[in-house]
Amino acid sequence: MMPQDWFDIGISSLPMIKFLDDQEQKCLNPLSCLREHESKWVIEFDLPLVEKKDISVYLDEDGMIVVEAKLKETYVDSKGGKSFEYEYFKKSLSLPKNIDTKNISARFSGGILTITLPKLYKGTKIQIN
Amino acid sequence: MKKIKVAKGAKINKTKKGEKILLLGFPGNGLIGTFTISYLIAHLQMKLVGDVSHPDMPPTLFIENGEVLGPIRIYRKDNIYAIISDIPVFPEIASDFVSSIAEFCTKNKIRKVIVPSGVDTQSTDAKDIKTYGLPTDQTFEKIMYENEMPKFIAGSIIGTDATVITTFRNYKIPLLMLYTTCHPFFPDPQASVAAITTLAKLLKVHVDTTDIQKRIDYLKIQHKNLMQETLGALQAEKQLPSKIPPIYR
Repeated sequence: MMPQDWFDIGISSLPMIKFLDDQEQKCLNPLSCLREHESKWVIEFDLPLVEKKDISVYLDEDGMIVVEAKLKETYVDSKGGKSFEYEYFKKSLSLPKNIDTKNISARFSGGILTITLPKLYKGTKIQIN
Repeated sequence: MKKIKVAKGAKINKTKKGEKILLLGFPGNGLIGTFTISYLIAHLQMKLVGDVSHPDMPPTLFIENGEVLGPIRIYRKDNIYAIISDIPVFPEIASDFVSSIAEFCTKNKIRKVIVPSGVDTQSTDAKDIKTYGLPTDQTFEKIMYENEMPKFIAGSIIGTDATVITTFRNYKIPLLMLYTTCHPFFPDPQASVAAITTLAKLLKVHVDTTDIQKRIDYLKIQHKNLMQETLGALQAEKQLPSKIPPIYR
């Protein structure tokens, strides 16, 4: 339902703010999804118009996973008589907790980058009497 | 129940031949419905005959070639009608929206409804893309058999798709859901090619999907924002509050 008072709308819920494409830096914000499995997390990034050799994936100093990719060709988006050119994809995501960062792997197929994050198991075994 | 307003221009004239069929497309998994119906509207050169509005819908309009277009539009070519929504159908208005479409069908003697949609799949290999049919009536069972279409045998359906199936069953209007395996969270025009081919076979029309095949990457980027909005609506469907009966407190 639409909110009764315009001022009650949180600015982050406005659709325009969510898109996060950076027109100045010519950067598109790619779609991503995170799925949890028993032994791992899997993050997928949708990277159309990209070749594998132009993708860079790394962990930054803050523990974020960063994906950067150069487009095969400049993507032009025309809106309201203006044209915006984009040349890159870039996105940073926070990692879930308890990840085995040494065994993170990545695969690129069909325009989708799949990053597998194995879980680290910690804790004490409970004896069953 | 709030009424969905169907603009006066959507009055349908009687057709000389062929049973009337409605194709319904709205953003969902992989944007299969959006891609499939918008392609067929363009390919069949269907004429815009009206639009659909609701007071609780986000106020949205599109401008194309200087013309103001509503986000949910009705098209027609001969005995084929198409309703396409360019915005996600939020759970709060889904029931009103689908009920009004069903009443529209009843009023205009539309005997069959086909809805292309997407279903999550573990495999992202293009070779594994398949379209399954989920009919609510014997009429469509026969059509599926004649076209060698596999049947959707088991699974769970939630959200707007479930509302569509329930509503058309209640109105006793034969419905065929076409479920194409796809990536649910990213636009999947590759999968929509399979949906378009299947739907064209059912409608007995010829299509050429070469153009889509060439533009798959561009279509994915162009529809990125719509997919993001749709994911918001799908998320809202999952978060609908459920009331716990007092007995369980």
